[in-house]
Amino acid sequence: MYSRRRFQWAMLAPVILLLIGLTVFPFIYTVSSSFTDHYYLAGDSKQFIGIANYKRLLQDQLFLQAIWNTVKFMLLAVSIETALGLAIALLVESMRRGKKVLRVSLLIPSLLPPVTVALIWQMMLSNHNGIINHLLGWFGAGPFNFLMDVNLAFRTILFIDIWQWTPFAFLLLYAALQAVPRSQYEAARVDGAGKLNIFTHITLPNIIPTLLLVILLRTIDTFRLFDKVNILTGGGPANSTMTVTQYIYRHGVFNLQVGYGAAASVIMVALVLAFTVFYIKRSIGGSEQDGHR
Amino acid sequence: MKKRMVALVSIVTAVSIMAGCQSSSSTSANEPTKLVIAARGGTHVTAMEAVKETFEQEHNAQIEILGLEAADLKQKVSLDSTSKNGAYDLIMADDPWMPEFGEAGIFANLSELGVEADADFEESSLALGKHPYETGDLYALPFAGNVQLFFYNKELLDKHSLSVPQTWEEVVNAANTIQASGDGAGYVIRGQQGNPIVSDFLPIFWAHGGQVFDDNWNAQLDSEAGRKALDTYINLLAAGVNYEQTDIVSSVSEGRAAMALGWPSWFISEGKASANYAPIPSKASASDAEASTGMIGNWMMGVAANSENKELAAKFLTFITSSESQKVMAQHGGVPTRKSVYLDSELSAKFEHFPVQLEALQNSVARPRTTKWSLVEEALGAELSAAIAGTKSIEDALASANHAINQIMQ
Amino acid sequence: MNRLQASPKYGLLITVLIWTLFPIYWMVIVATQTDLFADVSLFPRSVTWEHVISVFTEENYLGALINSFTVTAISLLIVLAFGLSCAYVLARRSFRVPLKKTLLIWILLVRVLPQITFALPLYILMNDVGLLSTKMPIVLAHILVNLPFVIWFMIAFFYHVPEEIEESARMDGASEFTIYYRVVLPLVVPGIAAISILSFMASWNEYLYSVIFIQRPSDFTIPLKLATLNSEQELTEWGKVAGGGLISMMPVLLAAIFMQKHLMNGLTAGAVKE
Repeated sequence: MYSRRRFQWAMLAPVILLLIGLTVFPFIYTVSSSFTDHYYLAGDSKQFIGIANYKRLLQDQLFLQAIWNTVKFMLLAVSIETALGLAIALLVESMRRGKKVLRVSLLIPSLLPPVTVALIWQMMLSNHNGIINHLLGWFGAGPFNFLMDVNLAFRTILFIDIWQWTPFAFLLLYAALQAVPRSQYEAARVDGAGKLNIFTHITLPNIIPTLLLVILLRTIDTFRLFDKVNILTGGGPANSTMTVTQYIYRHGVFNLQVGYGAAASVIMVALVLAFTVFYIKRSIGGSEQDGHR
Repeated sequence: MKKRMVALVSIVTAVSIMAGCQSSSSTSANEPTKLVIAARGGTHVTAMEAVKETFEQEHNAQIEILGLEAADLKQKVSLDSTSKNGAYDLIMADDPWMPEFGEAGIFANLSELGVEADADFEESSLALGKHPYETGDLYALPFAGNVQLFFYNKELLDKHSLSVPQTWEEVVNAANTIQASGDGAGYVIRGQQGNPIVSDFLPIFWAHGGQVFDDNWNAQLDSEAGRKALDTYINLLAAGVNYEQTDIVSSVSEGRAAMALGWPSWFISEGKASANYAPIPSKASASDAEASTGMIGNWMMGVAANSENKELAAKFLTFITSSESQKVMAQHGGVPTRKSVYLDSELSAKFEHFPVQLEALQNSVARPRTTKWSLVEEALGAELSAAIAGTKSIEDALASANHAINQIMQ
Repeated sequence: MNRLQASPKYGLLITVLIWTLFPIYWMVIVATQTDLFADVSLFPRSVTWEHVISVFTEENYLGALINSFTVTAISLLIVLAFGLSCAYVLARRSFRVPLKKTLLIWILLVRVLPQITFALPLYILMNDVGLLSTKMPIVLAHILVNLPFVIWFMIAFFYHVPEEIEESARMDGASEFTIYYRVVLPLVVPGIAAISILSFMASWNEYLYSVIFIQRPSDFTIPLKLATLNSEQELTEWGKVAGGGLISMMPVLLAAIFMQKHLMNGLTAGAVKE
């Protein structure tokens, strides 16, 4: 048993050490500097200022707007991506041929580097040279200033996210659809159930776990939205695309107000935990009970 | 069995450490010394590329220039400044960053490296490189003598028999006329949140008699001047469009828009300007007093305090800011900072804009010299952006800007 | 199914395909056409590679490609070596790991919590330890991105290896490491293949840590290089930027085409095993 225990710790040690170094220390650092006025360039002269950073954050309209933007973005993106993904999955599933080719072609946007995605859309949405404004021009509309118009910028970013991530939702849901036992469909058809009936009574219950998984994974990722915003709008115009990550980046990294950014990070962590706590509970519970994740 | 695992782990670790060290490997005697310059991307880089070879050959050096957007440049330089052996040997800085960078010790003291302040540099530019401003030691030399100008499309103005506006009232009227005619946008604002909208707005604010701070560093945006200037700015947007840099240049050059503020290096390359230019109107209306409105936006260059090749970097700094280099760079979009280059008969015959630019430079205004300018700019930019988007009224936006700036300056 | 029902379905499908693929098609067009914007056309007129070539000759894109591959490969090796062994121990109930649940939650949290929370503190700490002039910070950051993912993913795979196989090997006197290395690992190769592709992509695409951690131009990775190219507004040369974009997505596209089976297994593993 002794060697077995040694083996066990030898196997775990590297990961535990890495996690301590890469997450525990930084996290302690973040929490402790959130109570100071730490300014990166002033280095060691930071002072303990209590909860002043948190007070300032909660009074900052911009921060509150960033939270609201992020939540709004998350809700819209997740629901639209899931719904569209399901619709496309049902469409492809009903095809008789070409499913494999369709599956991989429709997936491509989700695989691309986010920076490349931002760049593709910047090219397409540009005022004078963008193909979208050209196309709209042929129909007599536009040109639109997609990324700089306060009424459009948020929706444009949302649209790009939907373009990129609906394929991901589609893929997972399509896999789930294929895993629904055929026998259930046949039984229902024998009973003379209608299409809608089959969908609500057989398809949906079978894919609910996957549906939840898609929603959760997308929730985690949309909440930390950064790449597209940082490259395409930088949070503007009029803060309409300011997200929490972008806010922390602006203040904590770009303006080097480490303490203030840390306080914002702590609040963000609390929010993320609030949104995902039941997912975490379920994952852990699941792994303890039946060996599935 | 455990041996094998230990072996696996140590191989992986060894590989990663080797890869890690690879970038800091020492150079042998004959290999050229590498100098890395953190620079503002665009024409500045093109201009430096055009002359760097001479230096490389003379000093057995290799010059690598990293061109970045202003915001990214500032972030990278700041983050790297606390590293013991820095990634950059020379650093370009926008002049409003100088107090912050000077205070943080990002630049090496140039006098200690044997670089002297040369009287040939335009004084207003040279003052920016000293810390504290104007009076202190020399930390950076003026690399590009940008000063904001008023750009217009002559054909469009001529078509409506408009002369070049001298006051902001005239600008608004001209913009309205052109916009109403449907020939193009009357005026282009550069209204992205952050540095762009602030740089675009401040000259108008100054022309209306405003100042960002009073003598005791109290914010003065929430004032008569502020409200009038912002009202003018919103009227200009109503008579035009809101674009970013690339589109501003192309629309004014191609006659899709009539007027805009801009920097010489955007429009002028190889001696040819793609649009006409004039000093920025210096008063709100004909009856008002004149104010200096040409915002100075010099790019400074200094030696990084944590560079491992400070002496060589200092030599390069002297080389790149010399009048010979500036003369060559001027042909590649560089903007000189030396009087002798502006007054050079051969060059000014070729570059018609030199007299206008030197005059503008000599009458220029610097943005407030505070270490917290970036934060001020951020706060002001957010409120201006909200005002032109209509999500806040002029009064509300300026009041919140005032409040936010005062809080920053505390 | 009759034709009347089928035709709107094909219409829908074509719409979806155009919506998904047009932006990528357009980037290829911009990257391979000369003077496209003088006279915009949806279809290629002639093909030129000058933009793609200029990205290499003028922008040292090759260096960035090498950097991206190095960082990706090293971090992937480390993540696999450490992540697999950790996942194996956590997946076996016969190993009594104290605070196992805490460890599992902790690993999951690393995946769930926003990266920006760790980024700057990590950078400051690495500076304090004097690692900044090496490639270690960015390699470690990529490890941090992929490690929790690999562990959670592989735990599920290890569960599916019946413990009886291990027991019989143990009876034969095999050591624990031999069992893990010789008996169990070969059985989860499909899982390793799938997770390797996914980790590779995550590394290849990584931007947030790169933009904060990498200062030296000779260390730039592809996403950082591309973002830098793109932001040089004075010189917005769309052809060149698109050329860079085209190259940036090649490895990912190749993986999608040639390792489709493993990729799909990886992406859908979580979905179907629920």
